[in-house]
Amino acid sequence: LESSSDAQTTDSDEIVVGTSLGSPPKVDVERIHIEIVSLSLHPEAEAMASEHIQQLYVEYHFPGVPLTETPLSLRKPQGGEEIYFHFSKVIQLDPEGVSSQREILFSMLQAEEAGLQFVVVSEPLPGTGGECEDVGFAYIDLREILLTGNDVLEHDLDVVSPQDRSAIGRLKVSVEAAAALCAIYWEGRRKAEEEE
Amino acid sequence: MGEAEEPVPESGAVFTFGKSKFAENIPSKFWFKNDKPLYMSCGDEHTAIVTGNGKLYMFGSNNWGQLGLGTKNTINKPTCVKALKPEKVKLAACGRNHTLVYTERGHVYAAGGNSEGQLGLGDTEERSTFHLIRFFTNQYKIKQLAAGSYTSAALTEDGQLFVWGDNSEGQIGLAGETSVCVPWQVDVGKPVSWVSCGYYHSALVTRDGELYTFGEPENGKLGLLPEQLKNNRVPQPVPGILERVNKVACGGGHTVALTETDVYTFGLGQYGQLGHGTFIFETSVPKAVEHLKRHKICNIACGENHTAVIADNGLMFTFGDGRHGKLGLGEENFTNQFIPTLCSNFLKFAVYLVACGGCHMLVFATPRPKGSEEIHED
Ligand SMILES: [Mg+2]
Ligand SMILES: [Mg+2]
Repeated sequence: LESSSDAQTTDSDEIVVGTSLGSPPKVDVERIHIEIVSLSLHPEAEAMASEHIQQLYVEYHFPGVPLTETPLSLRKPQGGEEIYFHFSKVIQLDPEGVSSQREILFSMLQAEEAGLQFVVVSEPLPGTGGECEDVGFAYIDLREILLTGNDVLEHDLDVVSPQDRSAIGRLKVSVEAAAALCAIYWEGRRKAEEEE
Repeated sequence: MGEAEEPVPESGAVFTFGKSKFAENIPSKFWFKNDKPLYMSCGDEHTAIVTGNGKLYMFGSNNWGQLGLGTKNTINKPTCVKALKPEKVKLAACGRNHTLVYTERGHVYAAGGNSEGQLGLGDTEERSTFHLIRFFTNQYKIKQLAAGSYTSAALTEDGQLFVWGDNSEGQIGLAGETSVCVPWQVDVGKPVSWVSCGYYHSALVTRDGELYTFGEPENGKLGLLPEQLKNNRVPQPVPGILERVNKVACGGGHTVALTETDVYTFGLGQYGQLGHGTFIFETSVPKAVEHLKRHKICNIACGENHTAVIADNGLMFTFGDGRHGKLGLGEENFTNQFIPTLCSNFLKFAVYLVACGGCHMLVFATPRPKGSEEIHED
């Protein structure tokens, strides 16, 4: 039927691209992307020997967002093994203007350190009757992301013991936030000056 | 935005997930006017679609000319290979950076990277247009093509298997050769009915339902006994699957075998690509995937680190590395899946084809007729 019209038939005529109601890609100043990539424990860490620690998940609390947890607990890493969550989440920030989220972030960025805390949590095996237990903490300095202007990609953070702050492992994370933190910081500074 | 979503026609659509290079890597879909996909294959970063009208459409990365379009520019929209229009295309297979094509005239063509002779053209020069592999004349009726990292395979209707390309790890099963740049026959003493090339290992199924593996021996991806591993450069039967195997798919570090009743997986599963849950990140013993036991699976596909299966009721399950949304399970929040996870996008569709690449996945599905019984999971 259409064989004779080959010359006029461009490739784009043969293909229909479905339109989507999906949201358009947001600009970087309105969103922060956090990925919990992987976790390893040092062989000499106490958690490695502990029998009641069998599976682990990771959680963090980003200002203005409910507690975020990896959807699954994974088997405790063995030896120098890494376990992979690849749990990535996009946080849509409140729009510019009056927002406690932006105020909290601004005050964090003005402090000496602005640590976003990740918690490594032990989840008891089903039927063992144990309770979830914090096994380690890791921090990423949002202020450093602001000051360097660089997103953090696949960065290894020390995981420290809640008891004595000794390093017990490594948590690999990505935090893409430079553009958004910069926007929040300068918005906050401008407002502070206007109020003076 | 604001526009109403255009409904997918009854004839179906191709859905793209992950870093497909199509639609800026946002989950998307497209369909053909007066045509439909019959066959799809994904390489590391490129894709081939063969349609019912015998046309070949290509898109994705093109650094080695693997799209066969005469350029090395990345192509972000399915583009018909006009040079092959005079002959109808029947099959295509995408390797990591090359592409194989079989036409109705009995010709096998190759394009793309050729560092290990994977184009089968007698040399190691890359090609950005499809070149005829002279070895294959129309006396060979090709049933299946397969391509791995730098490897190629062609299986004939009568069960002969021909291989070429990289054999540094024994991944084309030619024992002593390091690599060959023209097709060679691999003989396991009985007719072959299925072949798959992974990144550095390969597998075949014989007509009597036996699974053989060969290539890189690490991490259990060959599913062989310890004493078999020293002979990893020739095809060896995989013990441990007592039923007949019908199909096999090889990924980067894992292998998936389909029997009449079960899906068996083995090898590396650090991202969940084995589907054995959150406590098994590696196994060299073929193990049936528990969560698929109550489904009748009819198709399997492996990307580098992910797995997709289609059930005979048209539902699809994915598992493994969730990065970039390649599992088809979300718009912008992703995670690894350690058990087969229903792709709820397709509850109102019947999935016919799936192809998995390095960081992407393509699905061909048609809408379930209105008023037909909606499929419920549980
Ligand atoms: Mg079953
Ligand atoms: Mg990401």
